[in-house]
Amino acid sequence: MGKKKNLTPVQQQYQQLEQKHEIKRPVWKNCLNAFWVGGLICAVGQAITYFYIYFFDFTEQTAGNPTVATMIFISMLLTGFGVYDHIGQFGGAGSAVPVTGFGNSVIAAAIEHRTEGFVLGVGGNMFKLAGSVILFGVFAAFIVALIKTLWTMMGVL
Amino acid sequence: MIQSVNPEPGAVALYEQKNKELAEKVEKDIQSFDAIYDVAVIKGKEETLVAYKVKHLKRFGMKKIEKDINKLLEDHYPNEDFVVSSDYKIFIETIELLERMKDPSFSEKKAEQQLQRVISLKKEMT
Repeated sequence: MGKKKNLTPVQQQYQQLEQKHEIKRPVWKNCLNAFWVGGLICAVGQAITYFYIYFFDFTEQTAGNPTVATMIFISMLLTGFGVYDHIGQFGGAGSAVPVTGFGNSVIAAAIEHRTEGFVLGVGGNMFKLAGSVILFGVFAAFIVALIKTLWTMMGVL
Repeated sequence: MIQSVNPEPGAVALYEQKNKELAEKVEKDIQSFDAIYDVAVIKGKEETLVAYKVKHLKRFGMKKIEKDINKLLEDHYPNEDFVVSSDYKIFIETIELLERMKDPSFSEKKAEQQLQRVISLKKEMT
């Protein structure tokens, strides 16, 4: 925005014209869609948790792991069939922030680089997008565990 | 999940009449908590299993509630060994065991085995 003063009159005129014709993003509508799509995904996750609690020997504590695995697996399948793209188009961050977005980013990258071969294509690029999730997730977990260990040693917790 | 179990789950002891009274007393004590709406108690050979449900909006204070319960039980019954859990799985398993124990052909040995299984579930971490 700092460059605004250097614009020639013609450029300024063009900017005004552009602003008049630019389609406004429906931010509030997008937020609402993201909200309820994300909520719906979480409701499905909750249902799977209760499924594991009722029909298998999982407690509320331990049912989390198989639930996450199942959700990622489902979203991977949906990505492969091309359904998750539409959900992502509609729900935006609501479909990317839950773990299902992780599964989507893994498989999407794998499909994209399929033409480059299995090893250098799929293998090398599968975690192109999801890699940062793993890296920063592990790193953040490490930091938190470190802080917790120190606190426990000092007797705060 | 939101409703309380109907009829009331109640408390059952595996051995002797004296233990049954104790189990019922424990149940009353826990029920006096404001944040709790469903309690099931089983007194086994050594441990006493206490499963309860916390009102949904009070679930933020779940750790504190568990601490309070532990403290209360420790104060009132210093000689007893309690296994306390708010876990939903433990609660349904406890209810199921209570139901099965109403059947006279369900032996006490089996009940104790089942109780130990539920307790081992509670202790599982991963």
